[in-house]
Amino acid sequence: MATIVQPPSVARHKARMEHGIWSWLNTTDHKKIGQLYLYTSLTWFLVGGLEALFIRSQLWSPNGHLVSAETYNQLFTMHGTTMVFLVIMPFSAAFFNFLIPLQIGARDVAFPRLNAFSYWVFLLGGVFMNVSWLFKAAPDAGWFGYAPLTTKAYSPGLNIDFWVLGLQILGLSSLAAAFNFITTIINLRAPGMRFMRMPIFTWMSFVTQFLLALSFPIITVAVTFLMFDRFFGTNFYTIAAGADPLLWQHLFWLFGHPEVYILILPAFGLVSEVLPVFSRKPLFGYSVMVYSGMLIAFLGFGVWAHHMFAVGMGPVADSAFSVMTMLIGIPTGVKIFNWLGTLWGGTLRFTTAMKFGIALIALFTIGGISGVMHASPPSDLQQTDSYFIVAHFHYVLFGGSMMGLFAGMYFYYPKITGKLMSEKLGNVHFWLTFIGMNLTFFPMHFLGLTGMPRRTWTYDANQGWEFDNRMATVGAFTLAVATLLFVFNWFRSMKTGKPAGNDPWGGATLEWSIPSPPPEYNFAELPNVTSRTPMWHGDPGPGPATYPAAFTPAPVRTASELGIVLPTPTMKPLIAAMGLGVAFTGVIWHKNYILIFLGAAIFVATLYNWLLTPLEPEHH
Amino acid sequence: MATAVAHAPEHKHYTSTGLDNTKIAIWAFIGSECFFFASLISTYLIYKGHSLVGPFPHEAWTDPATGQVFKPILNIPVTSFSAFVLLMSSLSMVLAHSAVLRGDVKYSKVWLLATIVMGTMFLCMQAFEFTSFVHEGLTLQRNLFGSTFFVLTGFHGAHVAAGVLWLTTLLFIDLKRGLQPRDAINVDVCALYWHFVDVVWIAIFALVYLIK
Amino acid sequence: MTRHPRARWRRFVSFAPLLVLALAACGPDVPNSIFGAHSEHGHQVDDLTRFLLELGLGVFVFVEALLIYAVFRYRHREGGPPAQQIHGNTTLEIGWTFIPAVILAFIAIPTVRLIFQTQAEAPAGSLQVEVIGHQWWWEFRYPEFNIVTANELYLPKGRAVNFSLRTNDVLHSFWMPQLNGKRDLISNRTNHLWFTPDSIGAYNGFCAEFCGASHANMRFKVFVVSPERFAQYVAHEQTPPVYPLALDTAAKPAKVAKNAPPPPPPTIPLTQAQLNTGTWPTDSLPRWVVPATPLPAMLADTMPGDAARGAATFKTAPCIACHTIQGVSAGVIGPNLTHVGSRTTIAAGLYPNDHAHLVAWIMDAPVMKPGSQMMTLGQRMMGTGGLTDQQIADIAAYLSALK
Repeated sequence: MATIVQPPSVARHKARMEHGIWSWLNTTDHKKIGQLYLYTSLTWFLVGGLEALFIRSQLWSPNGHLVSAETYNQLFTMHGTTMVFLVIMPFSAAFFNFLIPLQIGARDVAFPRLNAFSYWVFLLGGVFMNVSWLFKAAPDAGWFGYAPLTTKAYSPGLNIDFWVLGLQILGLSSLAAAFNFITTIINLRAPGMRFMRMPIFTWMSFVTQFLLALSFPIITVAVTFLMFDRFFGTNFYTIAAGADPLLWQHLFWLFGHPEVYILILPAFGLVSEVLPVFSRKPLFGYSVMVYSGMLIAFLGFGVWAHHMFAVGMGPVADSAFSVMTMLIGIPTGVKIFNWLGTLWGGTLRFTTAMKFGIALIALFTIGGISGVMHASPPSDLQQTDSYFIVAHFHYVLFGGSMMGLFAGMYFYYPKITGKLMSEKLGNVHFWLTFIGMNLTFFPMHFLGLTGMPRRTWTYDANQGWEFDNRMATVGAFTLAVATLLFVFNWFRSMKTGKPAGNDPWGGATLEWSIPSPPPEYNFAELPNVTSRTPMWHGDPGPGPATYPAAFTPAPVRTASELGIVLPTPTMKPLIAAMGLGVAFTGVIWHKNYILIFLGAAIFVATLYNWLLTPLEPEHH
Repeated sequence: MATAVAHAPEHKHYTSTGLDNTKIAIWAFIGSECFFFASLISTYLIYKGHSLVGPFPHEAWTDPATGQVFKPILNIPVTSFSAFVLLMSSLSMVLAHSAVLRGDVKYSKVWLLATIVMGTMFLCMQAFEFTSFVHEGLTLQRNLFGSTFFVLTGFHGAHVAAGVLWLTTLLFIDLKRGLQPRDAINVDVCALYWHFVDVVWIAIFALVYLIK
Repeated sequence: MTRHPRARWRRFVSFAPLLVLALAACGPDVPNSIFGAHSEHGHQVDDLTRFLLELGLGVFVFVEALLIYAVFRYRHREGGPPAQQIHGNTTLEIGWTFIPAVILAFIAIPTVRLIFQTQAEAPAGSLQVEVIGHQWWWEFRYPEFNIVTANELYLPKGRAVNFSLRTNDVLHSFWMPQLNGKRDLISNRTNHLWFTPDSIGAYNGFCAEFCGASHANMRFKVFVVSPERFAQYVAHEQTPPVYPLALDTAAKPAKVAKNAPPPPPPTIPLTQAQLNTGTWPTDSLPRWVVPATPLPAMLADTMPGDAARGAATFKTAPCIACHTIQGVSAGVIGPNLTHVGSRTTIAAGLYPNDHAHLVAWIMDAPVMKPGSQMMTLGQRMMGTGGLTDQQIADIAAYLSALK
């Protein structure tokens, strides 16, 4: 048993640093970092949602003038960029952080300080990009930023500078996290947890980390080229020098298509955890679910040009990408059927988490069907760049990813907070979301099929588009109400929710074996794993009759009582991230070299200090 | 990191593979870097031969407007030598790691220093090459070749520089307290990075310099 | 947690009203529908899209029915049977892998066939049309007739038309939903698109690749007309504009009041042949092709103008730097205005072509169309410099007379 003796002043300082706001700033605990990601993404969700409400309000009437064309272009660009990079990805990251070590029976991730760094850099990136609003210079060339519109010749202002720099910052955050989780999942699984015994969420997250690690370098290169064109006058996208705009498109979509699988696979993983627990039977076809996830990721690198069917690549390329895109529909469809198989023959309990899980199956199917329609280039030439596409990706991103993430949030809320969310309010949130989502995005199928182009700040009268646009706007406001209700439920339940106990739902995997919220060290003793569903011991049983399950609160021992040594909390990841912030601010602020060098110096010095300091205090 | 350089704990934490966390992480990082350099190299190859004006890598060009003649800009013999130097630095890297593994503090310093010197030589030769190209009329902004060439080789050079910095840090620690066999993992990980950077140069050298 | 059976129906029912929307897929109420596209390729693509929709509907019904059934049938009931502890079923896995693959093959084969068909070489004797995209207007050239025009495209029914697509600046996309699928305009590249329009009609065209501030305002009109009318159109476009009109030197000057301004010089009226522009008669334009973009309030009041004075003003106005009027000016930055009077819209399909809109456009183009590269010209807006209200009204009258 370790004894760590400290002088009283150190102990006082330590106590101050371990509580309150400091404990959030110097944390290296994956559970705290997960919550930081969660609350930050929730904030960006509201911001992105507000942007959507402006968009939908502008499109209520033909020839609307709620906002100017320039403002609208900033709104739709930031809505897309925010929802992809600042909402869905970090919501998933919240779950990677909180859940993966618990699911694999580990104390933390492989590199806890790097983990904290990833979060602070993510926060920096989101703030950096959104500061542009204050300068009335938010990015305005779409989330996909096609060259040459984004070159300095056609976008001379700061808008695109904010965009490229913000994306580079966010890319760094994702890459660091990917290396961290790949190492964690490979190397920190509890004894006995073979790969094919890992929980399915960990599996889907594992696959996602590889997608992140391999796809983000490509967009880094694409954006670096654009940065260099804008700042140093290089010619990567300079038309006058003979550049090919398709270079941007190929690089962007080589990243962009794996990115959509990054957005969906974690949600698939969450739903795959929720459905079995509330069906009281194991996931149908676990191995197939694992292999199909890997196949989707692998094939996902081979379909990128289906976003480019209108650019004139020629019939051979069009055909090849068309066939590949159809192929990738197969493992995706297989997952839908396996989820149906999970429900089949079960005894279904319709908690809010379960409702969202089932909704993903229903709504992702619709998105998948329109996706297969896009896979046929002759037909796609009438669909692409119209609202039909907008309908498709909102069905898979909202009806897919967000539904899955909501399922995960209701399911894991007790584990994170130790309380239960109100199921009554959850029910209302669910139905408002389900109805609102369909009301917003289903009419967009018709708008697309009746010829309405996308990314348009206004549309003319007498084209037959008013009705569907109005339905969509009503739906959007419905979603706004639903979301506010969710936020209210989240925070109120933290105060007045029923105490949850270790395992309110009758779960199958290791995270349900420890208290809610878990102690800092997670597991008093590293578990020895002998099955895929260690909590079920072969038979899930009927599950608790009511939620939460009955439990007797037991005293939780501290780390030092148990002789467990934890990483020393440190501000270095935050300071290093701040150094980066200073440097990037210098870049965009009239290329202020003093700030750039100062920021770089802070970053490098802090990094050195961090790397040369041991993670944990000395112990034997 | 599970093990730190300054004060490695005597016991090791449990791992599923028996490998150090850092080793797995560096491989993930290298995999990512493969895609980074593949994108840069692909861009170079896509734009190869598409520049509207010279200078060009392998052929001479006369500016129709001014009559100025530009020689083919690449200097194969000089670059072959710098490539050789980088290759030899990988050898000294291997020897450095081997010395640390067996606790040979004297030779670990020798071979680390050799690697640093050769890496720095490579960087100096790159700097010389870049400045002479600029003097001969090839700048970042001149044409597609200038942009793709300098960005590709420039990023590679930045990676070499980062490696030299890393090696210098290791040498410092070696000089201060001596690198022990328990530190070998950190030298190992640095070596992996260094070899990767070398392999990337082989690819660039072949595709940019050798293949016309 | 809901156990009430009625709650199950709610999920079902929320789909039903949305199916009502399915009725509105084609017809005059939806004039830009991709269905019923009026070309041979358009019909083939139509068939393929309908096939995809039908398959999609089938899969939708099948999957959702299974889901709804499972949700009802297997809901937890007190005293009900325990869950069946099934881990998987290899036969099912093979089945639901193989069958979708077969269905996809049924899609892939006609897809690949149609790709090669629609991207084959254009037939010999196709009408060649060059499309050049600009921020935010469309330049159309008919090289075989030596015609340059803008924003309105005339095509003869029944003859294959082969478009070569270029852009002057950023990416655009050429889309007429009621005629054919789209093709992008890519800088430093020439793309091609061909089809044979088979129905006389007036159609809307849109830019379908985000191209900046006025992407939504970059529209064009397509008129598929009979070959005879097309020949008339070509002949008319090839002749210089009839304006300035010939002066009627024989006419007696009208009696004028003492302090009244001098009347315009009498001119010989245009002959019927000269009035036959071959363009679509304005009184029979379908509703959806006539723009309804409102006029900004501050530009709404206009005064009448005199075309002859406008012709003289134009020769020295800033307009000549950017616009071409055959025989008068040679600017190439903005649209060719040689026969602008016979177009149905201005500002790339954004406003109706009439005096009030022309005046407003010349007065303050950036307010009329965000980001417009045509600068504000009205003295009212600029303070000093610029054109007076009367000058603008005269130029507008002149342009309207360029039939």
